[in-house]
Formats: sequence, structure tokens, C-alpha cells
Amino acid sequence: MLLKNTYNEFVKILSKPRSYLGVGALTLLIGIIIFAMKVDGKSIISFLTSSFEQTLTFNGHVLNGNLIAFIILQMLIVHVPLLVALVTGDLISGEAAMGTIRMLATKPISRTQIVLSKFIAGALYTLFLTFWLGILALGVSRMIFGTGDLIVLNSDGLVILQDADILWRYGAGFAVAYLSLLTVSSLSICLSAFAENSIGPIVATMAIIILFTIIGTLDVTVFDSVKPFLFTTHMAAWRSFFEDPVSFDNIRESIVILLAHNVVFVALSVFAFNRKDITS
Amino acid sequence: MRILFILILLFPLSKLHAQAANVLLNKVVAKMMSVKDYSANADVTADIPMIKILPSKAKIYFKQKDKFKVEAKGIVILPKQGFTDVNSFISNSKNYQAILGDTTVVNSAKSVLTTVIPNGESSEIILAKLWIDYTRNVVMKTQITTKSNGTVTTTYTYGDKVSYGLPSKMVFEIDVKKFKLPKSVAADINNTDNKSKKDTRKKGTITVSLSNYSVNQGLSDALFVK
Repeated sequence: MLLKNTYNEFVKILSKPRSYLGVGALTLLIGIIIFAMKVDGKSIISFLTSSFEQTLTFNGHVLNGNLIAFIILQMLIVHVPLLVALVTGDLISGEAAMGTIRMLATKPISRTQIVLSKFIAGALYTLFLTFWLGILALGVSRMIFGTGDLIVLNSDGLVILQDADILWRYGAGFAVAYLSLLTVSSLSICLSAFAENSIGPIVATMAIIILFTIIGTLDVTVFDSVKPFLFTTHMAAWRSFFEDPVSFDNIRESIVILLAHNVVFVALSVFAFNRKDITS
Repeated sequence: MRILFILILLFPLSKLHAQAANVLLNKVVAKMMSVKDYSANADVTADIPMIKILPSKAKIYFKQKDKFKVEAKGIVILPKQGFTDVNSFISNSKNYQAILGDTTVVNSAKSVLTTVIPNGESSEIILAKLWIDYTRNVVMKTQITTKSNGTVTTTYTYGDKVSYGLPSKMVFEIDVKKFKLPKSVAADINNTDNKSKKDTRKKGTITVSLSNYSVNQGLSDALFVK
């Protein structure tokens, strides 16, 4: 019954035009970035290597598909949560707003299973979006710009990763990025369980992400004890796969915290939906 | 009066010294000029603070007077100066004044220090110190100070192409004091615990091992067009 309901929920997601908005927006954004890189990609390389250029020269195929994919991921990781929340934030509250929630509750399925099926459907949509992001960012970029070593600029300096050592990092990076987006999806569904309209949970999700990101960025000691527990701090954990050596301890910690958030959000949603008054 | 007398005595001596330096440099330049072009395989190992890169391979091409090209499958980091600029600088004796200094041993070869000072202010090079093996007429070590790049020290090792003055290995020691990261990157929010691990060295080295030289094969100019 859970699987059947999950299928129904996924069909509902697919039937909403806004679900394609995310896919369309991603395609357009990545298309624009790839076009910009094709036209003026050298300025990006100059940004990466500017502080070293007086003394050193970087030779070889620097502007390649791997670098473009990394730039796209860095740019879009801020925006993709909005595209996820746009769909998943509506999953429960949308039913309440349209009045279909009562009919849904009359089905021979428990409320807990209804919530879980919505979570699974949301997770599948998020997976599709991440997969699409991967195909466009990595697949198309590598097709257009070719492959090559990857230059990554981080706070320690430049890390240059060899071409043969990159694909597994992207694979693992996308998996962790998916977990981050899944947390956003869970948060928005959780907020959706408390709301009666569609727009509220979507806006609230983005507001929380912005607030947590600002707290995480502020260099104020009072927030130091809180920062490690904010899910936004760990949303960029995918980037750790592009360090040398890879800090697996930090990644593991991020995965645990993101998973914990997911569990809490699902539990809260189940609790709220089971107590939700759907008669009025 | 006595000082004036000493100065009068010293002036021709210093001129003689400068002439000797020029003769030595001319021999080095003549050897360099015997190479019209070359290509070689390069194995590059960089140990530079703030840059992590594995050893890489490249093919380098050179054609007189200053055409230089690096072909690599991956990314190869090379110093901005050291391959062609010293050659071009010392190839025209009108550009500089040269003075001979002490004799020391560099890479097991007796070498004489030749200090080269540019005549005009327009030159990028402020001061060049060259340790020249006067028996083989090859440069064993250079220390070049430029306006914008700081000081780069290069040590040369020679193999079977010593007759052309082409090294089998070059070790560049570069100044990294000027390396600064963009603030937006330096303030990486995810990087909270590695301040103590930061590399604070002020010097970095790039080792270039050269092999499979092809000398005077008549490289086309088109090869160097970007």
C-alpha cells in the first residue's frame, strides 16, 4: 500500500507544472553558464590563478569540462534547494489547501504511511533533479569542453586533481549533495505538515536556509557552538571530496548530521500529520 | 689626492674585469645560440606552498629567439621566468653591465659568479646573478630579481646535451610571499579547524627534468601560434 501510494504521489508531482519549472530552470541556468564559459571562460581561470600568475604559469587544458562542472555546482548549490522546496513544500499543505486531504485520509492506509509515501515521492523527485544536474553539469560540460585536470580553489590554496582521479569524487560529491537536498526536501515537507497553504512552507524553507547560512557565515564566537549542528553548514560537504587529502572524517560527520536532520523532520511530520485536524 | 690616485688605478682594472665578464657571457650566449630550436619531454614536480599538485608530464618546445610552448595533457605549473628570459636578456651585451665575482662550486662544477645589471630602467630584470661553469661555458645557477616577480633562483644540471648548453634538470626556487587568495575564497565557511595546518613556507620549488631532446630539427613557427 505504501508503494502504491508513493507511486500515486509521484504521479501527482509529475502532473504539476511547477515540477517542470525546476528542471527547466536548471537546464536554462546551466545552458547560460556553459555559454558564458565558452565565450569568456579564460576570465574564470584568471580568477582562480590570479594570485599565482605573477610568478607561475598554468599550462595545459585548464578550461575543461571538469572545471566547468565544479563551477556550475558551486553556483547552483544555493539555488537548487529553492527548486526542490518549490515542489516538496506543497506536498501536504497543497492537499489541505485544495481540500483533497480528507479524501486522502479515507484511503485504507495509515496517516504515517501517507506522510512516508510523500517523503519517498519527494526524495525521488529530488533524486531526479540531482541526476539532471549531474548530467547537464558534468556530462554536457565534458562533452563540450573535454576532460582534463581540475583546479579547485579553496581556503588552503589551489588543489590540482588529475583527470583520472576526478569521476569518483563527482560521484561521491553528487551523493552527498543529494543528501543535502533531501534534507531541504524533508524540511519543506515537515513545514508543509503544519501549514494549510502552499506558499507558506516554500517561503519558510528558504527563509530558514538563508537564516542558517547567514549564521554559519558570521564570524561571531557566540554562534560557534551552534554552527556544527546547522544543516546548512553541511550542505557544502560535497566540496570536501575535492580536497587533497579528502577529509573523510568531516564528510562522515556531515552525513550523520544531515541524516539526523532527515530523521527528525520525518518524525516531526508524522507526529504533526497524525494529530492534524482535517475535519475543519 | 691619494684617493683620486687609487681610483685612477682601479678604473682600468674594473673595466678589465667587466670585459672578462662579457667575454665569458659571450661564450655562454654563443653556445645558447647554437641551438636554433629544440623540443624535449619534461617531468615537472612542484612543491609550492598553497598549491597541491602531483608530478606531471609535458612536452616543451623552444625556438630562437624567445618562442616557447608547453604541451601537456594535464595541468603543468612552471615558473613564469627562467626558460627564455635570461637567454634573451644576456644575448644582447648592450643591455647590461657585467662584473665577475668569486669562484664557487655549484653542482660539482667550478663556477664564477657573474653579476649582470641592466643599463636602462625599462628592463623587467633588476639584477641577474649567474654562476657560470667557465670550463664548459654553461650556466650552473641563476638568481634573477625582477620588478614584479621577486627573486627566482634556478640551479641547472647537465647531461648529454651539455655541448648545446641544454640542461637535463632545472630546479627553480620561487618566492611565494606574494600569493594571496581572493577574500571570498579565503573566508571558506566550511573551513574552521585547519588554521594550524596552513603552510607558512615562503619559498617553493619546481623541478623540471628534461629528456629526449630533439635539437635543431627546424620547428615551424606555426607550432608556437596560440
